[in-house]
This record gives sequence, C-alpha cells and structure tokens, in this order.
Amino acid sequence: MFTPPLNALLVFMVGTPAIGWVIHKKGYPKVQGIYASAGLLVAAYFLYGLSREVSEKGIVLITGPLPFNPPLGACLQIDVFSIFMTMLYILIGLFTTVYSIKFMERDSGLTEYYTLMLGMVAGMTGVVFAGDFFTLFVFWELMCLTSYALVAFRKQKWESIEAGFKYLIMSAAGSATILLAMSFLYGMTGTLNFAALASRLANTSSEGWLYITLALVIVGFGIKAAIVPFHTWLPDAHSAAPSPVSAMLSGVMVPTGACVLIRILLLVFSSAQPAWQMTLAIFAVFTMFGGNLMALLQNDLKRLLAFSTIAHMGYIVFGFAIASPEGLAASLFHIVNHAVMKSLLFLCAGAFIRQTKTRDLRKLRGIGKTMPMTSAAFTIGTIAIAAFPPLNGFWSEMMIITAGVRAEMIIFSALMLANMALSVVYYFRLIRIIILERPTKVSKKATKAPVSMLIPILVLAFLCIFIGAYPVPYIDASSKAAEAMLNIGAYIDAVLRGL
Amino acid sequence: MISLSYYIACAVVLYIIGLYCLASKRNMIKLVMGLEILVNAAHVSFIAFSAYRSVGYIDPLGHSVVIMSISFAGCVTALGLVIVTYAYKHYKTLDVRKLRRLKW
Repeated sequence: MFTPPLNALLVFMVGTPAIGWVIHKKGYPKVQGIYASAGLLVAAYFLYGLSREVSEKGIVLITGPLPFNPPLGACLQIDVFSIFMTMLYILIGLFTTVYSIKFMERDSGLTEYYTLMLGMVAGMTGVVFAGDFFTLFVFWELMCLTSYALVAFRKQKWESIEAGFKYLIMSAAGSATILLAMSFLYGMTGTLNFAALASRLANTSSEGWLYITLALVIVGFGIKAAIVPFHTWLPDAHSAAPSPVSAMLSGVMVPTGACVLIRILLLVFSSAQPAWQMTLAIFAVFTMFGGNLMALLQNDLKRLLAFSTIAHMGYIVFGFAIASPEGLAASLFHIVNHAVMKSLLFLCAGAFIRQTKTRDLRKLRGIGKTMPMTSAAFTIGTIAIAAFPPLNGFWSEMMIITAGVRAEMIIFSALMLANMALSVVYYFRLIRIIILERPTKVSKKATKAPVSMLIPILVLAFLCIFIGAYPVPYIDASSKAAEAMLNIGAYIDAVLRGL
Repeated sequence: MISLSYYIACAVVLYIIGLYCLASKRNMIKLVMGLEILVNAAHVSFIAFSAYRSVGYIDPLGHSVVIMSISFAGCVTALGLVIVTYAYKHYKTLDVRKLRRLKW
C-alpha cells in the first residue's frame, strides 16, 4: 500500500477510536496517549528501515495496486528530503504526544484528540512523500482537516471557535486555490505527476498560463506557510489551540507549507525560476518585518511566540528563495532548529498556562522563582531562538545569511540581519519577565510542572544545546536533503525511466 | 462544439464570485457556501480540461481528482458548519462581525 511508516501511522490513527472505546468501557485513563506515542515509535522504527533503503537507492518509488505505472497512476516518491522531514515530524509528534498525556488530562474527547494528532502527522508525512499532485492534495487535505479540528478543539471557549473558524475559512480558500492551480497544470500538460510535469513544462509555449498558475501556487501554499499578506490566521490559531497543538502547528506544519512550495517550484516551475526567486525573496522580507514588528507589541505569551513564528518563516522562505544548494541546506537546517526551539517554547508556555491559567505576560512576571526547571528550559529556548552563538539557532541563521551574500542577494541578507537584531529586543523582554522581575500574585501561587510534561521540555532544551555544540552531522544531513531537492534529473528519471 | 475557453472563463468567474463572497458576506453560513463556490470553480475547470484532452474520449484522471475533492469539500463544509453551530450557541448570532474579539 503506502510505505511502512505511513501505514503504521494510519493504522494507529484508525485504531485509536477502538482503544478509546475499550477505555470508555473499562475506565483506564491515559491509555490513548500511550497508544498514540507507541504508534509514533513504531512509525519511527519503520522509518529507519525506509531511510536505509533510500540511502542505498537514492529514490524509492511506490506505485498503487492498479496496473498503471506512475505517469498515469498515483505514486509516492521518497527521497532523502522526504526522509529528513519525516524524521522531524515524528520526533516533534512524539514529544508533543507524550506532553499531551498530562497536559490534556482534564479535557474531554481525548480519543478524538489523539486520532487527530496521529492523522496530522500522517498527513504531513504523506505530503512530503507524494510523487504527484493528486496524492499531495489528498494528504494535504488530511493535514488541513485534522489541524482545523485541533485548533477548534476546546469548543466551549469563544477563542477557539473564532480562531478555528477564521483558520478554516482562510486555509480552505488556500486549498481551493491550489486545486485551481492543479487544474491549470493539468490542462497545460494532461498529467499531474511531478516528474512528467517537470519534463513537459521545461520548455512550454504557454508562458502566460504558467505565470498565472505560479501566482496561484504561491498564494495557495503561502497561506499555509504564513507568508505575510496571508498570515492573519496564524496568531489567532496558535494562541487559541491547546499548547501541544500550537507546538505541532508552529514547529512542523507551517514549515511544511514552505517545503512543499519550494519543492513544487523547483520541480515544476524551473523555467520561471528568476521570477519566483525574486517574488519569494520580497515576500520573505515582508514576512520577517511583519512578524518581528508585531511581536514587539504583544502582551500575550502565545501570541508573541506566534508572531515570532511568522518572522522565522520569513527567514526560511528567504533561504528557499536563494535556491542554491547552500541556501536550501541552510533553510532545511533552520526548519529543524526552529521546530526544536519553537516547540520547546510552546510546550514551556503550555506548562506556565496550565499552572497559572493565564497567558498574560504582565501576570506571568517572575514565574522563574516558582517554576525553575521550566523557566530554565524556556530561557535556553529563547536564547537559542534569538540566535546567540553557542546554541543552535545561530548556526542556521548565519548559514542563511552567508548563502544570501554568496548568491549576491546582499540587500536581503542585510535586511535579515537587521531583523535578527530587532527580534533580540522582544526575546530579551521575555527572559526579563520570566526570570528577573519580582513575582506577581499569580506567579507566586504556581506549582512545579508535572514530571511527564517536564521530560519532553528538558529533552528539547538538551537538543537545543546539543545541536548548537555539535552542528556538523545535522548540517550534513540537511545538505544531502538539499542536494536531493535540487537533483531534478534523478527525480524525473526515477519515474520516466520505465517508459 | 463549444470552445474550451468558455468553460475556463466560467471557472474563473466562479472563483472570483467565491472570493467576493468570502470578502463581503457577514453570515457565517454564507462564508461556508463561499468556500464551496471556490472549490467548485476548480472542479469545473478540471472537468472541462479532462473532457477536452482528446476527441471522443474523456480522461479519467480529472474525474478521479474531482470525486476525491468533492468528498474533502464535504468534510470541510461539515467541520465549518459544526464550528458555526458552536458559535451560534455561544453568541446567539451568525453575524461574523460580532465575533470581533480577535482581530478578524
């Protein structure tokens, strides 16, 4: 069927309601969460097998059960880039699921929660595995639908309802735009397979339609990737969702939009490369400034982190816009770092919110005195995301800037450097509020976070330090993934060789 | 035989109507209907292209995409209407301007 890791995720996703029914009859709490974590571990085990196969063959092509070969039928096409992203999804998914066991225990509907969580990981995995637009769209919708439901999960609160509705309308409009772009590509070439599209569109005569489709694709995926004119759903959705969901959304789902966008642009729109490079670079600068300037004004902890996500999406999109092997490698490395740092920050924020019932930074002053471990991890994450040298954020952001300078996009690199300086202001404000100020009434009453919530937080904080101290293997891995993304010839050959 | 460009023009017009509906309507259910119009614009375009690929035969690829997409659009609509129901229970109105506590 699909590949083993994706099969495992889908099987465990479908199995969760059955487990939930048994629990409902017998009354064991927390079993769904452990079951979902086990599902992710099994998927990680299968992914290890698949990654060895990919490193031997280069590209693994999975076709459907029907007697149609890829340019006609649907297929999954897995290369180093897909494996790289999937490892990240499963890693962050595992941390957030383990964290959710304690964090979500007071909520009802936990069976649905873990089903949706596994569905989201499965959807993202399928999106990066997909070898044609049809498969991509199916898994894209799986990812989108589960994330709408997760954002609106606490359906009794006005905030979740509003944010969920806004997110649903904007993101579904984006999906419809992608579908329209797909139909134009199909009309131009008669196929939806990436490889066949790439070879047929390389020297197309209908330039006008190509550019219209390019604009639709950038808008459609840009809504998911929170590029600035289309970012308005993100701060609301991130601050209204339960904290583990925010960590998943911000850490891996939003970068997935950018990854798929650049993969499609590199493969399908290679003949229009100068046009989309410049467009993406300009959008990236707007995104950085929008995110950083708005983050300066926030008094809500999770909203501040959400705007910081927008700023970081600007950096990632800028690295993709360079489109050189260095730029792509830097961006992929930054996606890993951003996922680790931002999910750490969101999980810490969740621990603060669970213990104090508030997200207001003015009430959270001095919480470091009562929650020392969480605050220490939060400080590590903040220093890492502010790109200070010993920690991981520094390496990837410097790599993006160096790649920009080498590709002669000096103005954009300078603007990114200015943005990084700007962002230090609010990150230091966060550290000052959490650690240095005198405790308020609310933060004096807070108690320490439970151990099962602290474990993912501390592991993520350790990863921040570890990747920062020893970045070479991660840079190598992201360079290999970037090479696989740019090796369009091999990608096309893998499908069309049989013809 | 009617030219393909009429169908594509129809799809683009539908798409613009859908965007206009999303931008201007205040009723939440009408917003969900706007989404349906947007998705159906893409469907019309797919079906038209698949019918005009070659004379006397219809490409099944476009149709299979549209059938899958219809089911997804149904899911999105259902989820949207669920959220609308909760919003109505909470606010006793369907006017999206009343949901102003977040900056829309």
